[in-house]
Amino acid sequence: MLRWCKYAIWLLLLTAPFAAQAEWLPEKPNRLVNDYSGILSQQQNAALEQRLVAFNDSTSNQIVVVITPTIEGDDEDAAAQRVGESWGVGQAEFDNGLVILIKSKTEEENWGAVAIATGYGVEGALPDLFCKRIIEDEMIGPLGDGDYYRALTQALDIIEPVLAGEYSYAQYKKDENRKAAIAGLTSIVLLVVIIILVARYAKKHPDQWNSRGGTGGGMLFGGPVGGTWRGGYSSGGGFGGFGGFGGGSFGGGGASGRF
Amino acid sequence: MKKTGIIVAILAVVAIIFLWGVNVNNRLVSSDENVQKAWAQVENVYKRRADLIPQLVATVQGAANFEKGTLTEVIQARAGIDNAKVDPTQLSEEQVAAYQKAQDNLGKALANTIKVTVERYPELTATQGFRDLQVQLEGTENRIAVERGKFNEAVQGYNTSLRRFPTSIIAGMLGFEKKGYFTAPEGSDEPVQVEFNF
Repeated sequence: MLRWCKYAIWLLLLTAPFAAQAEWLPEKPNRLVNDYSGILSQQQNAALEQRLVAFNDSTSNQIVVVITPTIEGDDEDAAAQRVGESWGVGQAEFDNGLVILIKSKTEEENWGAVAIATGYGVEGALPDLFCKRIIEDEMIGPLGDGDYYRALTQALDIIEPVLAGEYSYAQYKKDENRKAAIAGLTSIVLLVVIIILVARYAKKHPDQWNSRGGTGGGMLFGGPVGGTWRGGYSSGGGFGGFGGFGGGSFGGGGASGRF
Repeated sequence: MKKTGIIVAILAVVAIIFLWGVNVNNRLVSSDENVQKAWAQVENVYKRRADLIPQLVATVQGAANFEKGTLTEVIQARAGIDNAKVDPTQLSEEQVAAYQKAQDNLGKALANTIKVTVERYPELTATQGFRDLQVQLEGTENRIAVERGKFNEAVQGYNTSLRRFPTSIIAGMLGFEKKGYFTAPEGSDEPVQVEFNF
């Protein structure tokens, strides 16, 4: 008994340093533009969101903007990386996420910082030096003037074309089509198998089949058919809205600056 | 008749234990694999930093009134990391600790060198080349912090399943041993903070 207690205490001690999670970090949102400081106007916020959702839809690259009044003693680089990793920005298989984090100036904390964190898959297209240039040349100036929106749009004007070249939409679509085709084929094969089984059963036990009526058969068919239809809808939908984060991973790439 | 019953029962128990052992083994193997993957990333980012040192040396040597002493510390620390080799299939506590010590040493030497360079050669630090180097070093430190954290998480998962009952009974017999963590310097849960912004 004493030994188990010792084990338990050891485990607690071992896990304690890792359990510490940043408290300022908000829950995973369902948006790409997250202005927790309330600095962007409603129109600016909506315009940015629309722009980033469109970029996500057309290239599968996810760019997240976070404006926060505090990062509670965190390093801004680490803060941006943490956002990317814990929200899972970017597609899991490509790690093609990007986080632009701005720690806004507030009355209590009169310093601002901006950090760009690149997902593993984006590090090649956007090396740290490139991120630093973008921050220094496009963002620090307007941020110092308090024009957060211009800083963001200027940065995006450069980042978006770069990322769009990193991974082609055509390739992505081809993969998607292949997946959809396989899924479709599987459901057809399943359907045929079920039909054969049902037909055999009905032939063997004609009386039972008749007495039970069509409901059983209807239910059998209803399953796979309904499933296929619903699948068709979900892949076609998603106009305007953001479809959710893809589980991308971040390794600490990127750069930061203060204003 | 009774005898065969007993034999069958014993065989069944043996089979169950065997299957359980296989299951435990497979789980630990994949957990171990995770740790090794994370370790490979750790080595990657540390190598990235080591590869920047020749660039730093070349840049600082280019300063007008350059003194050799400026770079001695960092060159020695760079040599030190080659002696701290780690077997990635083992990653024992001693190995990881020795590796960390050598790397942390290099980190401190690097930070010192940059600091001294900034003090002694202000005109050098104003050049684009030096500032680019600073950005790269900073990015490397960020990556090191991230990969160390991810490695620790992987090890935590592995060590936890190793110590959990009933796995703990047979883990030792199967040859699985506890792995080492990167430890934080006393008084903080962050890795050594190396500041390159001057």
